[in-house]
Amino acid sequence: MRQTLARSIKYLTLVIAMVAAIAPVYWMLTISLKREVDQFANPPRWLFFPPTLEHYYDAFVTRSFVQYLVTSAVVAITSTCCALVIGTLAAYSLARFELPWRLDRKLSLWILSTRMFPAIVTAVPLFLMMRDLGLLDTRLSLIIVYTGFNLPFVIWMMRGFFAEVPRDLEEAAMVDGDSRLGALWHVVLPLVAPGLAATAVFCLIVSWNEFLFALVLTQTDEAMTLPVGIAGRVTQYEIKWGVMSAAGVVAIIPILAFAIAVQRYLVRGLSLGAVKG
Amino acid sequence: MADNFFWAAMAHTFIYAVVALVFEFFLGLALALLLNSSLRGRRFFRATLLVPMMIPTVVVGVVWRLMLNSNFGAINGLLRQLGVNTEQLTWTASPRLALAAVITVDVWQWTPFVFLVLLAGLQAIPQEPYEAARVDGSSSWQTFRHVTLPLLKPAILIVLLLRTMDLLRVFDQIFILTEGGPGFATETVSLYIYRSAFRFSDFGYACAMSFVLLLITNLISTIYIRLLQSRESVA
Repeated sequence: MRQTLARSIKYLTLVIAMVAAIAPVYWMLTISLKREVDQFANPPRWLFFPPTLEHYYDAFVTRSFVQYLVTSAVVAITSTCCALVIGTLAAYSLARFELPWRLDRKLSLWILSTRMFPAIVTAVPLFLMMRDLGLLDTRLSLIIVYTGFNLPFVIWMMRGFFAEVPRDLEEAAMVDGDSRLGALWHVVLPLVAPGLAATAVFCLIVSWNEFLFALVLTQTDEAMTLPVGIAGRVTQYEIKWGVMSAAGVVAIIPILAFAIAVQRYLVRGLSLGAVKG
Repeated sequence: MADNFFWAAMAHTFIYAVVALVFEFFLGLALALLLNSSLRGRRFFRATLLVPMMIPTVVVGVVWRLMLNSNFGAINGLLRQLGVNTEQLTWTASPRLALAAVITVDVWQWTPFVFLVLLAGLQAIPQEPYEAARVDGSSSWQTFRHVTLPLLKPAILIVLLLRTMDLLRVFDQIFILTEGGPGFATETVSLYIYRSAFRFSDFGYACAMSFVLLLITNLISTIYIRLLQSRESVA
């Protein structure tokens, strides 16, 4: 009897927590599907309302949200690829070679410490640098910046995965006449492929969600990412709630898909700062 | 540094960080302990509880503007249905409630992160100390206090470190929810730096403040890391 009571209290608490976690997102979803009359209804229409896709049409056909979406995707994918190539090579050397005075360890810690910088601290100098380079308001500037801040993360994730691969394997390949890079490519990378994929997904999530740098470095529709596009609509005088909610829902979808894909690596990735506030 | 606005922003940042950290930690710990027992549907609960953390912070801002809007927001709508007078409850537009509102949003978004890391920490604890405690006949509170907490300490310190760093630089959500307003009520250091640089074009001043913020966060993270290392050498 006492046990069933304790058990029901546990479930009740969990259900309340779950509702608290999901309800706000559900509310945005309903707003994105409601006609304007229903959005402002009092009392609110929680469950039943005639659904409409007009806001999605409005956001992605009449307005420029498709363009933001494309920019977000291009920037996220390109910067992830760059960070993966550079970061994997760096991580491999940090995991395999010993430098004098334990420099390899110190170097790794120093690389990690750059992740601890408050973003705003680097935003101002980056803005000034991009302005002088004439790169303001281009996708390229965002790709460079995102590659830069994903690098430490890639290096630390991959260093961990490389450390788990026994050295004998690639040494055997090298005895058979493979070069070191060849051994990395043919022997080691296939072994760490799941880790590499998870790292890539984390980079994609971070770049997709990033807001501050994109806000600072871009001004026009040509180079804006989806978060900046949404934010620009929020702070305007007259707010189109339906359009914004529709854009918000679309921004969430790829992230949730990605998150499910990397569930197994969530803790490791997040402790290294894959998702930032 | 004689700028009152800067110190006010500093004060907001610290209030924000401390209050949010306390709530996130205790809620996250409670949820982690709950889900560490053998419950049916654990994986399902775990996955759904993580949703707020995965959402882009800008979208979190949008979500909560929809929730907190004083006219058609879900919260005031629900309160009205329960018969509460919501005239005074303008949340993000009220100087008294705005800071509490943005803190609530942070707690909503980041408690799942604390929960996730602590749950992983709990699951990494071996069974033997628990069996020993049971043999010794210690109560469940004693077991928690003397077995679970000490073994969970590294995970706790890591999660507190990461959350503190993120809280001290908070920007996105507040930018969307209140833009630091009403007036100056929710202006944090990051927002103030942003405003100085990109609204008033005072880059030198912004860089100076950035440097102070960097020093402070560095100091705090060093303290945490020292604590972490001393734990490791004891264990």
